[in-house]
Amino acid sequence: MTSIRRWLLAALLAALAVAGLAAAAATYFSARDEVDALLDEELRQVALSLRDHAVLDLRRLESVAANPDQRVLVQIWDPAFDRPYASRIVGPGPMPRTDEGYVTLVHDGRSWRAFTLFTGRQLIQVAQPTALRTELAARTAWRLLVPVLFMLPFLGLAGWWIVGRGLAPLGRIASAVKERSPTALTPVPNDGLPQEIRPLADSLNDLLARLDQSFSLQRRFAADAAHELRTPLTALNLQVQLAERAQGPEERARAFERLRQGIRRATRLVQQLLTMARLDPDAAAAPSTAVDVGTLAASVVEDARPAASERSIELASEDTSGGSTVSGSEDALRILFNNVVDNAVRYTPAGGRVTVRCEREGDSVQVTVEDTGPGIAEEERERVFDRFYRGRSAEGSGTGLGLAIVSQVAEMHRGRVALEAGPHGGLRVVVRLPIAAADDADGPVNRQMRAPAYVRRHAEP
Amino acid sequence: MRILLVEDDPMIGESVVEGLKSEGYAVDWVRDGKEAELSIAATPYSLVLLDLGLPRRDGIEVLKGLRERRVDVPVLVITARDTVSDRIKGLDAGADDYLVKPFDLDELSARVRALVRRAAGRAEPVIERGPLVINPATREVTWQGAVVALSAREYALLAALAERPGLVLSRAQLEEKLYGWNEAVGSNAVEVHIHNVRKKLGDGVINNVRGLGYTLASE
Repeated sequence: MTSIRRWLLAALLAALAVAGLAAAAATYFSARDEVDALLDEELRQVALSLRDHAVLDLRRLESVAANPDQRVLVQIWDPAFDRPYASRIVGPGPMPRTDEGYVTLVHDGRSWRAFTLFTGRQLIQVAQPTALRTELAARTAWRLLVPVLFMLPFLGLAGWWIVGRGLAPLGRIASAVKERSPTALTPVPNDGLPQEIRPLADSLNDLLARLDQSFSLQRRFAADAAHELRTPLTALNLQVQLAERAQGPEERARAFERLRQGIRRATRLVQQLLTMARLDPDAAAAPSTAVDVGTLAASVVEDARPAASERSIELASEDTSGGSTVSGSEDALRILFNNVVDNAVRYTPAGGRVTVRCEREGDSVQVTVEDTGPGIAEEERERVFDRFYRGRSAEGSGTGLGLAIVSQVAEMHRGRVALEAGPHGGLRVVVRLPIAAADDADGPVNRQMRAPAYVRRHAEP
Repeated sequence: MRILLVEDDPMIGESVVEGLKSEGYAVDWVRDGKEAELSIAATPYSLVLLDLGLPRRDGIEVLKGLRERRVDVPVLVITARDTVSDRIKGLDAGADDYLVKPFDLDELSARVRALVRRAAGRAEPVIERGPLVINPATREVTWQGAVVALSAREYALLAALAERPGLVLSRAQLEEKLYGWNEAVGSNAVEVHIHNVRKKLGDGVINNVRGLGYTLASE
């Protein structure tokens, strides 16, 4: 695992070391230049003083200059001798003659710097190994580098501590996040955080808040669903017991028929719960397409026709919307219209009439479903949209979810559902959906991020 | 034994009515809180089975209202609200017992028997009135040591009269205890049942009390 602390520390120390080395190198080169100038001058001075002093009696010189400690090598060529005078013996033979002035040469396997002066008779050579100069410059550079090297461990320790201090807020956030659990998603404390880390804490808190909302929705949904499943399960349990107790084939047949109804109802509830779960806002990433509302409503009406004619209910539909389309999910809208038409047929007594009308109203498509059923009392019209609420006149197989689903789908499409009193005493359901605008490429389904209707209503005290 | 069932779910209601009727109870069934209050005010029930999540008036409200008006009919709460605090709330509001959905018909009738027994001031599960022994759990009737087979109505008739020692019930009271609302009662139905019981157990089992009604023979 990479560690910011280790990385920062290593990088800082490396940078420091490089800087120290660079400084040492620069010092070395400038010191070398100075030493060159200084020692070159010294060579020249020695040569000049030899020229001035020694009207050169080589024999006398011999004893003076034979000191092996001498830093310089002096060599004097005199035409009177076949070998040059040398202040000390270096190598198997004499240093070769050189031109007047400064020169760098190799003698006896070493590099020498030499100054040559010609007096007219004698050739004076004053030479010095260049290693001396390198050594002097290197020593200067080394003196500069040593304290830096000594400081490195201390800088390392200090850096470790400083970086640790700087990163401490991160650790605090990490442990604060660690303490959170799906049941307690309180925000991470963000006061006193440095400005570099505050955005992290803020976006974490944002995420935590959304998670919390989503979790509590799920929990409430699961609790509600479990609670609601109890009713059909109770009925099933009782029906099974009655079937067991039944005496005679007739009673038994009746008990089994009731049991079948109970199973149908439980199945329907489970299906509706699934539908509801699929319509959850987070799952609403379905691609939105242009849906022709009139055609969709007509096909839903056709689907409902067998159930209607079974109970001699007249099912009429009318479409003047002229192919107006809304942008959204066809599946979700089909569920919406299915629920509305299904409800109307179910609550209309035999021989009644259900009318489905689809028309254009300004920027919206409006679908009106009227029935001749018992209707819904005005004081109940708001509550029937709540999940699991079942009206007074609700019949056995209702789940209390139908209208909640209807209003959820409508909101997904930025539409509205209204319940009114129908003209013949029944219920009139008006679904109004905004028509897709030409530039509406994004689609309302993808943009819908708000909680659906039932959630907001449930959130109220 | 006449019982009021308050339950808004048609499937559960239908099954409970059927189940209790098969055990010889007369059952009236209403579907909301307001109707429940009206029915309890109009009819002397031996027991009320009360769902809590009711339309129009919540079950807890109905229960509190009953107890405030000093109506002491035993109430068995039947509900899907199963948290401990819900149960405590229900019992504190005046419920005598609490049954959580989904429940069993057998458990329901056992609890019904227990509540009825307690309301009659008995602790022992078997009713003994001289030579007559009634076991409400098995609906077995023994007369002078021999088991007698009775119809559901005949059993209900004997059980009603045996509820308390020396209890005298008029024909109308017996009718009320034996029949629910929707059941057609012939004008001499009670007499017919009494006649049948006497035929099976002997004339001495039920006595006429002139001008008052009927009572079990004390010996």
